Amino acid sequence: MVLGGTGYAAFGPRGSRDPRERNRIVLDYWEKWTRHEGEAMMKVVDAFNASQNRIFVRYAVTSDIGQKSMIAIAGGDPPDVIGLYSFNIPPYAESNAIMALDELAPRYGVSLDNYAKGVRQVMQHKGQWWATVNTAGSVALYYNKALFAEVGLDPERPPRSIEELDDAHRKLVLMREDGELLRAGFLHREPGWWSWLWPYHFGGSIYDPAGDRSTVGSPECVRAMIWMQMYARELGVDRVKKFADGFGNYFTPENPFLTGKVAMIVQGPWIANLIQAFKPDLAYGVAPFPVAAGVANSEPVGLIDTDVLAIPRGAKHPEASMEFIAWTQRQDMTEQLARAHFKPSPLARISEDFLSTHPNKGIAVHYNIFNSSRAFIAPPTRVWQQFKDECDSVVQRLWRLEVEPDAALAALQIRTQGFLDRAADERRRRAVS
Amino acid sequence: MSTSIRRNLHGLLWVSPWLIGAGAFMFLPMAMSLYYSFTDFPMLEPPLWNGLGNYRRMLDDPTFLRVVKNTALYCAVAIPLQTMVAVALAALLNGKVRFSRFFQACIFLPTLVPLIASAMVWMWLFNGELGLVNRLLGRAGITGPSWLIDQNWVMPSLVIMSLWGVGQAVVVYIAALQDVPRQLYEAGRIDGMGPLRQFANVTLPMISPAILFNVVALTINSVQIFAVPFVMFRRPDGTNPAGHFYTHYLYENAFVYGQMGYASAMAWVQLIVVLMLTAVMLVASKRLVHYRRV
Repeated sequence: MVLGGTGYAAFGPRGSRDPRERNRIVLDYWEKWTRHEGEAMMKVVDAFNASQNRIFVRYAVTSDIGQKSMIAIAGGDPPDVIGLYSFNIPPYAESNAIMALDELAPRYGVSLDNYAKGVRQVMQHKGQWWATVNTAGSVALYYNKALFAEVGLDPERPPRSIEELDDAHRKLVLMREDGELLRAGFLHREPGWWSWLWPYHFGGSIYDPAGDRSTVGSPECVRAMIWMQMYARELGVDRVKKFADGFGNYFTPENPFLTGKVAMIVQGPWIANLIQAFKPDLAYGVAPFPVAAGVANSEPVGLIDTDVLAIPRGAKHPEASMEFIAWTQRQDMTEQLARAHFKPSPLARISEDFLSTHPNKGIAVHYNIFNSSRAFIAPPTRVWQQFKDECDSVVQRLWRLEVEPDAALAALQIRTQGFLDRAADERRRRAVS
Repeated sequence: MSTSIRRNLHGLLWVSPWLIGAGAFMFLPMAMSLYYSFTDFPMLEPPLWNGLGNYRRMLDDPTFLRVVKNTALYCAVAIPLQTMVAVALAALLNGKVRFSRFFQACIFLPTLVPLIASAMVWMWLFNGELGLVNRLLGRAGITGPSWLIDQNWVMPSLVIMSLWGVGQAVVVYIAALQDVPRQLYEAGRIDGMGPLRQFANVTLPMISPAILFNVVALTINSVQIFAVPFVMFRRPDGTNPAGHFYTHYLYENAFVYGQMGYASAMAWVQLIVVLMLTAVMLVASKRLVHYRRV
């Protein structure tokens, strides 16, 4: 064993070191992005490394970042900066697995007031500030203008209500004589990332943060699911199953929105990047996802989904980490990154030409959602992943018309409330112990 | 120091790498997971004693009951089917078949393909719209189902796919078949046995130790099925409930939901079930398995 160990130490593999690391504080930054998104972040990192000679940031692409960071922090060997998803904040914050920034960030010129109104929600949890936002997206309706024109719809007038969306969908549906579905106007299950989204467009929500209550059984949620089932009934569950089986993966040219199999899709700004890469001639429009009749529509309603930067508990150089994070939050850096990701800037102030020169044609729509008082975020609870998986499971059954919305959602509410209650009970017991 | 003590110390020294490795990386984690199973342990905070709470919770957890049902159903169908197919293939290849070695290699080859790669290939084969399976069914005038989406076809698709990996068992069975004394078949023929009776009364009893070994190994693997359904049935809109299995749910609890205590309790229940099933099979083998006296 001793011989083996000595041999390994003498002749074993060695990591290659960047000569620029010499005599600097080296920070490990774990981020989820790869390909063009990763390259864009690398440029920000490189700019920071070149801007001074005290700190060197090493960028490491890390898949399943929420899980791997959790294990690294629990194991006492975390990186210095982690690029999490915004929904990771509540469980990390409640466990003090990341550092609060209330005192640290202002010392480096970063203030909550710097950020767009809607974006501030994801940075805080239970009154404390936990993370900064490096890129942010809001979710909107993307539609295919050529298909709109083909069926006689005005390509410059996207649906402004759920009823208009339904009408457009019906006109856009294309079936072969034998009944095989060739094109859908809109499909709730494509790409299916946010099965819990629809109640918000019916004036409801699925979670009440003030009371820590699940509200998935509310009348608005039931109404939203009845609406979703209407599509399944009209198109035919088996027919849609077969149709959806032919969809390619999201990040490929076979994405059904790109191929024209689905004419309207609920998506974040990143899809514009996909369009640019695989189908640059696709004429697309962007609009806030409409709301149902009777729901106020003076301001756009939309989900805000962001990528955040946090300093994990046990990070060796928190001050240096914050200095790097502050660099990424400069207006020029956030705009550079946002453009490369086809996203809006998360900051409240944007440069004059940011919107007009942005590569995403619908950027103003996303930006307006950021600044809307009716923008919402994923329920800020530490059991969100479990809550969401349970919603996904029930919505799948609702889509297949196996269950009725009122009964299924009532049961879902009891079950998800159970998750919340268990977490609250654990919190109480921890406080006592 | 006496010779026997010295010999024992020498022995312990030689096995110490294994002892240290097994202690540090197996027995210690097992003991810790047993402790965690009685706690609430979100990993980012210290474990908090919860008594039997995690074990009680399983009884009220509909997802737990669903994954148990799915896993039991998969085991109940896949284990007998894989065993029957493997024995049948071994019997066929053990006869005087031309290119027998080539076919043996063809059957064994898939077991060398990594599970994830196999799963990706099968996802395309089973694609309802573009997949080869439905194309072939279509040529026969049959409209194929949406194998990976339709609740009713998820389990059959997984069981069919599991047959892809029978090669290893086939090799073991062929070895066992070649070990069956020829004179037993001759004696059977003299007694008037046809091929089927010979297979039932001579071949099967003689290869029963190999069957027992394979069934035990298959049971342990099937109860823990994870990688293939994890790849095939995890979709952006959630895991297909019909393709949600015990180990996948255990993994979700540990690393996605941050409930290591509950996941540890699930792991211990799984271990106990596997041990019980193995014990039942070993007890049953006393009656059903024929060991030759050497």
